[in-house]
Amino acid sequence: MDSNEVMININSLSKSFGKIQALDDLNLEIKRGELLGIIGPNGAGKTTAIRMICCILKPDLGDILVKGKSIHQDPILIKSMIGYLPEEPNLYERFKAKDLLKYFAELYGVPKENINDRINELLELVGMTDRSDDRINTFSKGLRQRISVARALVHDPEIIIFDEPTMGLDPATANSIRNFIRKLKGQKTMILCTHYMEEADLLCDRVAILNKGKIMDVGTPEYLKSKIHGDVILKIKVQKHGDLEGLKHKIMEFESVGAVNFVDREFLISLKYRNEISDIVDIFGNDVISVNTKEPTLEDVFIHTVK
Amino acid sequence: MAYIKFRCTRVKMKFTTITKWEFKGTLKSKKFMTIFFLQISVLFLMIIIFNSFVTNIESESGISITPSLNGFASMDVQDQSGLISKYVNPDIITVIPSNYSNALNNTVNGKTTGFLYVPGNADREIQNGQTINMVVYLDTSDPKSSVVSGEVNSMAKIISQSYSSTLAASANPQNTTSPSINQQSTGESLPLQIIKKVMLVILLFLPLLLFGNIIIDSVVGEKERKTGEILIAMPISHAQIIIGKSMAVALTISLQVAMWVIILLLAGFHIFNPLLVFIFIILTSIPIIGITTVVAAYSKNYKEAGIGLSIAYIVIVGLLIIPVLVYISRKSFLSNISPMTIVMRLFSGETIPLGDYALTLLSIAIVSIISYWIAIKLFERDDILFGPRPGVLRLVFDLITFKKY
Repeated sequence: MDSNEVMININSLSKSFGKIQALDDLNLEIKRGELLGIIGPNGAGKTTAIRMICCILKPDLGDILVKGKSIHQDPILIKSMIGYLPEEPNLYERFKAKDLLKYFAELYGVPKENINDRINELLELVGMTDRSDDRINTFSKGLRQRISVARALVHDPEIIIFDEPTMGLDPATANSIRNFIRKLKGQKTMILCTHYMEEADLLCDRVAILNKGKIMDVGTPEYLKSKIHGDVILKIKVQKHGDLEGLKHKIMEFESVGAVNFVDREFLISLKYRNEISDIVDIFGNDVISVNTKEPTLEDVFIHTVK
Repeated sequence: MAYIKFRCTRVKMKFTTITKWEFKGTLKSKKFMTIFFLQISVLFLMIIIFNSFVTNIESESGISITPSLNGFASMDVQDQSGLISKYVNPDIITVIPSNYSNALNNTVNGKTTGFLYVPGNADREIQNGQTINMVVYLDTSDPKSSVVSGEVNSMAKIISQSYSSTLAASANPQNTTSPSINQQSTGESLPLQIIKKVMLVILLFLPLLLFGNIIIDSVVGEKERKTGEILIAMPISHAQIIIGKSMAVALTISLQVAMWVIILLLAGFHIFNPLLVFIFIILTSIPIIGITTVVAAYSKNYKEAGIGLSIAYIVIVGLLIIPVLVYISRKSFLSNISPMTIVMRLFSGETIPLGDYALTLLSIAIVSIISYWIAIKLFERDDILFGPRPGVLRLVFDLITFKKY
């Protein structure tokens, strides 16, 4: 398996819905066996981008090449290479779990002689063997998500796209889905759209930060964290701040300060060294409510990037 | 994690998979089975009504659009001569032999509507050319009294005319025969044709219009349940999805039409060429499903689809029935543009020229191609599925200019 092979190549992709520009000249490459995370605020264009990779939406401009095949020229072939897990686990309620998998296996063209074995294998994988004869409308959200994962994998795709796979799930189910993604890592090329920064940090090889239809930054989580110029994040919660821009300017004058953000009465200051912390805190005088320090996370990167 | 290794095949005819699962789903659906058997019940009811209509129209009394007056009212009658019993219409008035005092009680208690007194020697007096005086007492608070009064008056007239002609014949013994008209006719009257043929053809076409909800559920349901996204993500074209779903409905309709034809045959209806009739009805279902699919592909939800479907079906029914009526009155070649005309002619046992068949098939083909083309084009537009949905005028413009979307 050539890990340098580009599996998905997104070129100058643009899409608008009426007056809203959902994607604006998006460019991205995903290599074989890579797990790319896409993070971004609501309405950033994450779902639009992955729907285009899955040939569900057509771009206004640009192209996506999946294993060298264009979404404009060969959408059916591309669809057969992708397993897609949408944000909402909406399934055909009338089906039994195994019938649902059988239906999609047939649509994907899985050979008849393999269908039953594949279904049993997947049901075991998602821990639902005992629920195979139950109807979908009897399933909880967690079970629906698990059977959706099985559905997305029924044709053993080379590329798997997860759109918010753990959203709204209880911690145990969310963890089982994450473990499942972790197991597939390296074997499949995967895209993971998520709101959970820790999830992206934990699972992804690279993370792309999408905002207002544009890629703001892309790289490994470590690389992105290093880009906010700090080994430590200083969090200062204040009662009032007065001249915000003036305060930010004062803080930026310190040699060790890489970036300053203000979110919800809290200053997030990335520092290269810890020795200037007390001097920075002194600026706020009696207005300080609390002071904390922590290691930078992807969330800090996200806030810093999309501020 | 041990994977079973296989290679997915690229099957071109994947719409059959959709057809198979949709059809299975429909047959397993309790809602569908309830509708299915309710429709069969409606058919039985319509057969009864139809038979009653035809019996009525074929009877000498002609078509009666009023409810039957059988046993409508009852009247006490004192008539020793038996004159009244011969002339009163028993379908309207039930005669109860009585006398004045009994009749008074019956009328007061609401058992009868009135009392008719006929003099004891009425028959002899009439034969002698004398005037007789009958007396009718009516309970005017009873709404039936006006009908009884009218019936008694018309009966008196009939008796009077009958005896007048008897007297005239006895005054001129040479003229012993009265003139009579012996009427003979060929073919059925226009009203009879309309009722017998049009009603039967409507019965046969009814299943086609009863299954709109299945295609709506199948296509609009994908939007409402938000399952459309995963279906479109399958390696299958939009055209195959639409065709697959439509085929499932066509199969369901075939099943129902076959049952209806069998039931109608068992109920004693004369259907010539039942197989050809069946084939033409099923062929007609294709453009109707196509038009329904256009409505479903554009509609955002069930409510919108329901409104659209009602409008579409009014137009479809008009376009199917009007040519049938034109054919009955004028035998016009162009009226074969409606498949309903050809079906009516088929079950009537007419010999149909090939040109007439060709016109029907051509109209079915043209409407089918146009409707499915529009439905597929609409279904391919992601702005219809994911919004913002374009307006009808914009869509019409895009369609007629063949704008690539």
